[in-house]
Amino acid sequence: MITTTALTKSYKKVPVVRDVSLRCEPGTITGFLGANGAGKSTTLKMIAGLVRPDRGTATIDGRPFVELPNPTRVVGMLLDASAMHPGRGGRATLKIAARLAGVHPRRVEHLLDLVGLTDAAEKRVGAYSLGMRQRLGIAQALIGEPRALILDEPANGLDPEGIAWMRTLLRDFADHGGTVLLSSHLLHEVQATADHLVVISDGAVVAAGRLDDLLASSTILVRSPDPAALAAALQAARIDYVAGPGAAFTVDVSGGRVTTEVLARVARDRQVLLTELRQSETNGLEQLFFSLTAGKTAPSHGAAA
Amino acid sequence: MKATDTRAARWLLALCGLSTVVMMLVAVIVPRSFDQTYASYLRVASIGLIILLPVVAILMFTGEWSQRSIMTTFTQEPRRTRVLNAKLAVSLMMGGVAAVFGGVVAAAGLGLAAASGRPLEANLSVGHVIGYLLYVVLNVLGGVAFGALVQSSAGAIAAIFTINPAVALIGEVSTLVGDWIDTETTWNWVLDNDWGGHVPQILFSIVLWVALPIAAGVARAIRRDVG
Repeated sequence: MITTTALTKSYKKVPVVRDVSLRCEPGTITGFLGANGAGKSTTLKMIAGLVRPDRGTATIDGRPFVELPNPTRVVGMLLDASAMHPGRGGRATLKIAARLAGVHPRRVEHLLDLVGLTDAAEKRVGAYSLGMRQRLGIAQALIGEPRALILDEPANGLDPEGIAWMRTLLRDFADHGGTVLLSSHLLHEVQATADHLVVISDGAVVAAGRLDDLLASSTILVRSPDPAALAAALQAARIDYVAGPGAAFTVDVSGGRVTTEVLARVARDRQVLLTELRQSETNGLEQLFFSLTAGKTAPSHGAAA
Repeated sequence: MKATDTRAARWLLALCGLSTVVMMLVAVIVPRSFDQTYASYLRVASIGLIILLPVVAILMFTGEWSQRSIMTTFTQEPRRTRVLNAKLAVSLMMGGVAAVFGGVVAAAGLGLAAASGRPLEANLSVGHVIGYLLYVVLNVLGGVAFGALVQSSAGAIAAIFTINPAVALIGEVSTLVGDWIDTETTWNWVLDNDWGGHVPQILFSIVLWVALPIAAGVARAIRRDVG
């Protein structure tokens, strides 16, 4: 079980992570989804004790990571596949990890085989491709037969076959009672792997829950030829929205306050012409996520922040 | 184990040994330049050793920060003081092994010198040997101190090769600096087994160049955000 409560971190007064609370149960895979720079890695590093939170706590099986007596037996971590000594071979890297974890050296060969690196085991890690480093990193995380896994962007650099392999591996791990927390900036990746989801944007959690529930949550799409006027109207009515591609705005209606009718009235009162106003038929989560990431680059970020 | 199992580390240690052997060969070939005593041959070995040994010690402490593998290390052993203690212990062991190696090289040099019919004064006392051992270990610890504090390979190596000579230079002018702060003076007293009236100075320079920076470096490493 991985738990965080109100983790908060600022760098030079710029908030990076704000009040992030997570709860990952045994037997589940939690996807930690967010755009690049949303605060995923910093959150994971706080769980790992690498970064000191300004506020908040993080525990694994009820204890802070740094207080675990033999941490690699409890939780395996892959936070940065490039953070391995390039001068050492794959086998040597795993042997060191095995010694630290106090497991039998035979497990090294088993894991090299599992991640398909047996033939490259003597090659220096510096000569590995990113995908190979990810595989080695996953082997390193698994070395102590941990009960939990924390993986930062594990799919990076893996080919489609490798991604499918990793999904099976993680599903298997969770089905045997393991807890998995993995981050990704790719919704489809997370959707295919995780059963729980936490979406983070600008350092704060914007959606969390079971994947099925989140996929069901609905939004309204509203479009105007004059997006600036629409934005002003929504702001005046204190309706949160996210600006998506093609001048389409997405409004979250999970609160129950906003309906298509409310939006139509707001537009009429402010004399804004609407060309589209409908419940999103497409995947609500995708809509939310795309608008959150698109909002990063869109000039009119508006009330979404 | 992690200090010796990469190509770069092996090269550095080999160079370290090589510099000692070369120094000794110079001493054997050019005998006029120093006293022909057992102690001075040991001294030559130590000078060869400490050219690169502090760099090895620095890299022991900075390498993982620079290579970012510190992130992996700290997720495998999050109690950072244990990691640092292990590095310190390995540095000391390495210093000990290096000192023994230097002793062997010195003995070989003496053997060669004796074989060439050179008169040698067998003046080696226990004090000399202890002084030699301490000198090598102090130089390793000096490297550890820079590495632990600076936590960047380039920065720490640049620092040790500029600050020490700079202090020595100031020591030329100011005897106060020379006698208390310049380790080329104070630690040479240790090497020469010349403790008389120098103990406070020696201790002061050890606190200044070893104890304080290591303490500050450990505190910094424990608090520092990684990654």
